[in-house]
Amino acid sequence: MINIFTHFGSQLVVGLGWTLLCSLITLVFSSIIGTVLALLQMLPSKLVHLLCRIYIEVFRNIPLLVIVMFLYLIIPLYFFKINGFTAGTIGLTLYTSAFIAEIIRSGIQSVEAGQLEGARSTGMTYWQAMRYVVLPQAFKIVIPSLGNQFVNLIKDSSILAFVAGFDLLYQANAIASKTFDTINSYLVVGILYLLLTMPLSYYMHYLEKKLS
Amino acid sequence: MKKKFWLIPVLFCMLFLSGCRQKVADQAVLKNAQSSKTITWGVEADMKLFSLIDVRDDVHKGFEIDLAKAITKQILGPSGQAKFVTATAQSRIPLLKNGNVDAVIATMSITPERKKVIDFSNSYFDAGESLLVPVRSSIKNVHDLNGKTVIGIVGDNSSEVVKKFAPKAKVIGMQNYGQAVSALKSHQGDALVSDNGVLYGLAVENPSLVVTGGTFTKEPYGIAINKQQKPFERAVNRAITQLQHSGEYNHLIKKWFGQVPGFNYKEMYQQ
Amino acid sequence: MSMIEFRNVQKFYGKFHALHDINLKIDRGETVVLIGPSGSGKSTLIRTINQLESIEGGQLIVNNRDLSDPKTDTNLLRRDVGMVFQHFNLYANKNVLENIMLAPRIVSRMPEAENKQRALELLKMVGLADKAENMPCQLSGGQKQRVAIARSLAMRPKLLLFDEPTSALDPEMIDEVLQVIKKVTTDSDMTSLIVTHEMGFAKEVANRVIFMDQGHIIEDDASRDFFQQPQTERAQQFLSKIIAH
Repeated sequence: MINIFTHFGSQLVVGLGWTLLCSLITLVFSSIIGTVLALLQMLPSKLVHLLCRIYIEVFRNIPLLVIVMFLYLIIPLYFFKINGFTAGTIGLTLYTSAFIAEIIRSGIQSVEAGQLEGARSTGMTYWQAMRYVVLPQAFKIVIPSLGNQFVNLIKDSSILAFVAGFDLLYQANAIASKTFDTINSYLVVGILYLLLTMPLSYYMHYLEKKLS
Repeated sequence: MKKKFWLIPVLFCMLFLSGCRQKVADQAVLKNAQSSKTITWGVEADMKLFSLIDVRDDVHKGFEIDLAKAITKQILGPSGQAKFVTATAQSRIPLLKNGNVDAVIATMSITPERKKVIDFSNSYFDAGESLLVPVRSSIKNVHDLNGKTVIGIVGDNSSEVVKKFAPKAKVIGMQNYGQAVSALKSHQGDALVSDNGVLYGLAVENPSLVVTGGTFTKEPYGIAINKQQKPFERAVNRAITQLQHSGEYNHLIKKWFGQVPGFNYKEMYQQ
Repeated sequence: MSMIEFRNVQKFYGKFHALHDINLKIDRGETVVLIGPSGSGKSTLIRTINQLESIEGGQLIVNNRDLSDPKTDTNLLRRDVGMVFQHFNLYANKNVLENIMLAPRIVSRMPEAENKQRALELLKMVGLADKAENMPCQLSGGQKQRVAIARSLAMRPKLLLFDEPTSALDPEMIDEVLQVIKKVTTDSDMTSLIVTHEMGFAKEVANRVIFMDQGHIIEDDASRDFFQQPQTERAQQFLSKIIAH
């Protein structure tokens, strides 16, 4: 196993870099999109609500691989060039944001209705009441589920391997086929994934404790 | 933090496990095969003409399948059974080394790197690297690949071979041939590099793609067998020779490659 | 000039007719108590005044704004209308001082120093100056409601709505809250509308009593008249039941 670290160090670092970049981009954008989707569903407009539901149900219920393959293979045929990393990251963001939207929505709904009414009765707009009163409470409630989702997101970034995104799993496949040492190759990237996900898990636990 | 010390033994266990190899593969394959009247073959699932699972009846079909059946009967007699296990580029060598399969017949070129880990039978197909490109592509041979994006299969040695002929080519690895062909059609790459036999199979299925430039390497396919299995290896080699002498081999070549446009199957004839 | 005017207002929840043809005028400076059995529409009525509930028919004018006109800006209306809820609805994520300061800061952009000074004054007025840094969950029910009253005053409203402000409180805390409400409603020329079951308190602070039943206004009298001699049989029954308890 040590051999793989020493022989393929630079290849693994490249993989780690792409995995990390994809995870970070996805984390930021899927959090934003997920929150916006959750909030839009609270609006009175039936059409907006319907559109949000369609988005969420579509991306939540299709395997990630299908979404990413679709982006990777269909978009360049009819629209514009898109490389594997971009297609994978966009696909992962679309997919993850659907889950985050559901998590945030459940968080908002578990905040008492009186909180929103209290805020609105002082003249705050809907968005102000959401931003200053409801969302901070909703986020606190959903931190454990969000933490899970974030860890899943890092692991799901391995989808890049299927569209030549040069991430950790892609490198593992390449190393495995070069060395014929499949077990150790995957073990090494398993440990590298742990290095990425464990600090995040700890941080989410810390946040949970700090806020309660 | 104290609580997390359990992780260290877990990691150590993982290290240890990776050090241990299953010893099943050390048993005598030929003796086992003769007593069970069965040889288990690792084969591919998505290799048109060589080994493709027919979705209608879930049965592997192709040149390699027929050849494996013929070799099995040659070694074990008419009652010998060939059993097929689907393997991928990533799993075929582990499956063999763990003893899950007795041999792998899966468009594997005989290479020195692979020979460090496993043994090969004599060649059963004269393969070589070639290029699959869209019909109106400007790429005529391997030297045109400089500055282009080339699609290979993760686990194939194609990418390194391409780099030798066209150092400025960018190689992206796909998981299997289905995805690789789709990627080529979606212009994710300019050419798909792989063995000629495989590429002809893909070209038959996809009229918008053609094989171009002939083969630029000689990488014959061999049947992968575990090391320390010399008796079995000899039996396989003997079987191949017998099939080539009897004309059965040529019959199979014609059966599977006779219809491929642009492919002179008679060049593949033995004896 | 009236602060609130209902003209033939109708309110439905699906098929349920919650408010029947309400006609009501409340003048500036009045303190009006709204009583009636539960389900009679008192809370619904009070909540239509700051548009926490919409109306389905008729006209409703509050502080010169026509709420039946969709162009009316609800948020502007609400700045002038404070509300105190049965369950306090203090922001659970903010401390006492922040609960009071939030709306002036983000709605009317009051300078921070002035805002803080005003919030501390309000806290002193409700007798909780020492609780400024506490979180709502650290307060008793009575203290929470006093903070909520301070919060409702922070925007300097012209009209205060109290929706059963003591119903969720333990009996021993009711009085401290009623004292504060009394101070707020009688001290100034504030217009107040109070939904309550506290008849003694109603008698003490109200200059007018409205009795509702099944979505109708049954009686609308001066406070003294109502408690001495209710006009309708239903109001008489209601009062005798309440007082018997």
